[in-house]
Amino acid sequence: MIKKAITFAAFASVSLAGCSAAPSVVENSITAAESATEQPIAEKTSITVYSGRKESLVQAVIDQFTTDTGITVEVRYGKSAEMAAQLLEEGDNSPADVFFSQDAGALGAVGKAGMFIEMPSEILGLVPSEYSAADGKWVGVSGRARVIVYDPDKVSEVPASVFDLARPEWQGRIGIAPTNASFQAFVTAMRILHGENKTLEWLKAMKANAVMYPKNSAILQAVEDKDIDAGLINHYYWFAKGKDIGVENMTSKLGQFQSKDVGNLINSAGVGIISDSSAAKSFVEYLLSKTGQQYFVGETSEYPLIPGVVAGVELTPMDQIPAPEIDLSDLDSLEETLDMIRESGLI
Amino acid sequence: MRKPPKVILVIALTATLLAVLPIAYLGLRLFEGFDRALAELLRFRTLELLGNTGLLVLAVSASALLVGFSQAWLTTRSTVKFASFFAVLAALPLAIPSYVMALGYMSLFPGFSGFFASWLVLTLATSPYVFLGVTAALVRIDTATDEVARTLGLGRFQVLTRVTFPQVRPAATASVLLVALYVLSEFGAIALLRFDTFTRAIYNAYQGSFDRTSAAALALVLLLMTLLIIWFERRYRGLYTASPKALGKRLRVDLGSWSWAAMAALALVSVFSVGIPMASLLAWSIQGSASLDLPMLLDALWGSVRLASLSGIIISVFATAIALWAVRYRTRLGAWIETLSWATHALPAVVVGLALVFFGANITPWIYQTTWMLVIAYLILFLPNALAAISTPIAQAPKDLEDVSQSLGVPANRTLFKVVLPIAFPGILAGAGLVALTVLKELPATLLLRPTETNTLATRLWDATEDLAYSQAAPFALLLVIVAGLPALVLNAQARKALSEVRG
Amino acid sequence: MAMLSMRAVKKSFGDFEVLNGVDLFVEDQELVAVLGASGSGKSTLLRLIAGFEKPTAGTIELAGNEISSVSKVLVPEKRNIGIVPQDAALFPHLSVSQNIGFGLAGWSSKAKAARVAELLEIVELQEFADSSPDKLSGGQAQRVALARALAPRPAIVLMDEPFSALDAELRTRLRLDVKAILQKEGATAILVTHDQEEALSLADRVAVLRSGQIVQVGSPTEIYNSPVDIGIATFLGDSVLIDGEVKNGKVVTLLGALSPLNKVTEGQVGRVAIRGENFYLLPNPKGEGEVVGQVFFGHDAVVEVVTKGIKIRARSNGPFAPEVGMRVSVWVRGSVNFYPG
Repeated sequence: MIKKAITFAAFASVSLAGCSAAPSVVENSITAAESATEQPIAEKTSITVYSGRKESLVQAVIDQFTTDTGITVEVRYGKSAEMAAQLLEEGDNSPADVFFSQDAGALGAVGKAGMFIEMPSEILGLVPSEYSAADGKWVGVSGRARVIVYDPDKVSEVPASVFDLARPEWQGRIGIAPTNASFQAFVTAMRILHGENKTLEWLKAMKANAVMYPKNSAILQAVEDKDIDAGLINHYYWFAKGKDIGVENMTSKLGQFQSKDVGNLINSAGVGIISDSSAAKSFVEYLLSKTGQQYFVGETSEYPLIPGVVAGVELTPMDQIPAPEIDLSDLDSLEETLDMIRESGLI
Repeated sequence: MRKPPKVILVIALTATLLAVLPIAYLGLRLFEGFDRALAELLRFRTLELLGNTGLLVLAVSASALLVGFSQAWLTTRSTVKFASFFAVLAALPLAIPSYVMALGYMSLFPGFSGFFASWLVLTLATSPYVFLGVTAALVRIDTATDEVARTLGLGRFQVLTRVTFPQVRPAATASVLLVALYVLSEFGAIALLRFDTFTRAIYNAYQGSFDRTSAAALALVLLLMTLLIIWFERRYRGLYTASPKALGKRLRVDLGSWSWAAMAALALVSVFSVGIPMASLLAWSIQGSASLDLPMLLDALWGSVRLASLSGIIISVFATAIALWAVRYRTRLGAWIETLSWATHALPAVVVGLALVFFGANITPWIYQTTWMLVIAYLILFLPNALAAISTPIAQAPKDLEDVSQSLGVPANRTLFKVVLPIAFPGILAGAGLVALTVLKELPATLLLRPTETNTLATRLWDATEDLAYSQAAPFALLLVIVAGLPALVLNAQARKALSEVRG
Repeated sequence: MAMLSMRAVKKSFGDFEVLNGVDLFVEDQELVAVLGASGSGKSTLLRLIAGFEKPTAGTIELAGNEISSVSKVLVPEKRNIGIVPQDAALFPHLSVSQNIGFGLAGWSSKAKAARVAELLEIVELQEFADSSPDKLSGGQAQRVALARALAPRPAIVLMDEPFSALDAELRTRLRLDVKAILQKEGATAILVTHDQEEALSLADRVAVLRSGQIVQVGSPTEIYNSPVDIGIATFLGDSVLIDGEVKNGKVVTLLGALSPLNKVTEGQVGRVAIRGENFYLLPNPKGEGEVVGQVFFGHDAVVEVVTKGIKIRARSNGPFAPEVGMRVSVWVRGSVNFYPG
């Protein structure tokens, strides 16, 4: 009901926006899209997006897209994995045009089921290839790095590898959130890169060493409160907190492991197109436009994936992170990970 | 034998066909990947799930029976003070969805999870079912039997175990069946409290590895477990059916000095089932009131109320048709259809939701993700609840009146609408209220099938729990409890009416 | 020695006094009917004997032992009494045999089985031994209830309106059965009832309970023929009350001079109670009475006659009963009870 009203307002404003200061990038990208499809097949003015990203996080940029393009967007929100599962069940008849996921694993699952169209190469080309699917089925939109947050008073030197945290000296000092999806994606990456046995061993060591928290922000808070010395989180939680209380007031620091350690995994939130239309492509292009990218940098402190958009100053530039090499689409075997985490006794 | 009107046949058969869909879906998925399904079932993990689920079902059934029976006995058959007040309190948790109760506890006690947490929350959430069922049976007992037993040498406690309990056993068994089915198919609370039962495993298999075949295999085990429980209940329900007459004077047992202990026990249960979760939600709501998005709250409220009332009406119409068929015409097919609708009740909402996603998107895309799809899901899920509530008033509408009506020249089918339905109407209305209440609280099917951009209090609440944002979730939870409390009050009024009969 | 003795027993609920000093003695193997209108305190009386209520004053002894007093009440299960409630109240979850054997805890299973079989035979329900109580008719259920109460050989059996839920024909038959069963068992029993016919036909002695007190105790004939006051007289039978005055040892009334049954004093003014069967109607076209109504029962009929401004109800037996509109002469046969005042 409320949504309808917003859509209507968007239609009204788009005619006015034509002569106002709409960002030039957007105009360019639209032209690019139109020239790409010579004969636009039944131009859609409305698309349906299944979003695994939260409403509070992305609705604003979607509204902006509608305002700028006149394309209305119906969004179905849920958890990324739930949305992916629903898409798989719906199959070819899915009402969704676009799947916007917060996690590469869910995109991988839908992509492997053959539900995404081939992402146009000019869109894929906007983003460094390691943040999109190896088979080009989906494209990354923003990056999120796994980091270790630590208390510099207690930790003089960040350990070289996330496997070092299994050592007895870390007992009771490190915080993890085993029920959190980002942690689980990281464990999946560990399974893929280092095998089941080594991963299980690490998880069991963490059962002995780690303090469990329900979520990333609680780990960060615990490090800030000096309850624990360090924790494994996603990088943007630190910046969100920094925005809240002022970066200068943060006592904790972010650090990276060395040499392509799996603890430095960079996961991407991304999109795949289910139903081919220029409107859907416009949506993806919009997310990868300077406006879109700037939004994610500003709102969520995630890493932009296109050149020319500046990440927050405090962020370690992404190309300086010694991230592991992995096809993010392979992070779709979550259940095996859950089984293993359960087996280790962490949950 | 008379034949029911065509409209009734059509409605009842439609309901039956719909009820078969989820089972067809399971069959399809298993057929598709039989080997994988078999492999899934042969994993040690399946055994573990079986153990976990069985343990939880048994533990909750036992404790809910103990709590619900004690509450019922104390408030209807003892001289405990403020009995009617405690009776209202005992039924009140019906208005609190179990995941809301779980949320209340989790947000108060970090780390509240696992078996004990699930057991506690589900016991508190389900004991009202036993309380209401046993209360209704207790007030029908001829208390003269208690006195006869005393003169034949039984002490007070022996009367309770040897005379009173055996007489309410059928009602207690039926209530415990409801509790067991509730626990088997419970999703929200168990997902929040992270105890691995079949529903949670099905959901994880599905959204974790996107493996629909293993999910279906696990769902099949769950279905079999449910059928086993239903069979068990039918087998051991008890030999006799309680007489509907309420003859003789009702007597209450004088608790004497135990009265205070009884009051303390009743109060304690309510503190746990209502006090703690509500206080917790209230505190979080106050904390979150500053950042409360009022339009969002109202939108969700509207979504909930609209879906609940629409479903309540439609499902009651279906249930009335089936009840008329099964009760008034007594054809074998009618009875069979009634039983079938119970069998489907066994399936957890997650499975029903998935089945309808599949059939909806692929066979009937024109209603997929519309309100009607959701209504169909609710119909499959809650038809048995409505049937149970509506069959009784229809069965009780005096048969003689129908004969009188027909002798006055009104044809049989019109008699149905002019005599039977008006007489049964209050009962049908109560059934509709019960369904509306259940729909308000439903979560997994709503999440899967709601029209895009439709939100309910339950779905908003669920979204907010994703990152344990208690202060965001609490206002939705609180409002949900208040809205669900209205139909619960109606049910409560029935309980109170039963109680007033006791006092008279 | 009396099996049961109630002395000056009072019972109040709050300010409401239900029993106001009841004295009642029941001999061994005697059946006493307590006859009273509803609300007279009959049920309370039984509940006091059974131990479900505590007396406000007075004592109750059973077989020489005090079981109830103001200070001490023996619990029901220790009293050795049996009760037969109004609607049988069989345990619905137990079979007929199990119901009868319910009170035989502590008996050997052999003795128990023998006792149950014996009672089944006495109440003539052998074929229902394994039936569920809901398969029984009302009369059968009452017989089972009686057997259940008798099984442990209680000191006394208390029956609370045991026939009131049954239809008339069944009631009559069951009364005879019950009397026979009690005699066979040699049981002592109290029956409370509001039905005078029941009390009179069944009991060895009848105690009339009114306003919380026992106002008359006696054999059925004593009670029927010589009610101590006008209230009992009207309660016990279909009586017409007519004003009269004692002259020359007879009571002079509008219907003639009648012989009193009880002792009278010359010149006393009061009323006589004349039962329906005391009237004799003689068809007489010149008679002073006119038949205004008739209810035909087959074996007899009740005829309503207005004579000398008085409406009487006469029981007319035999094949002949005057019909409505006929004129009759009215006679009073036999003696009547005179109540001064």
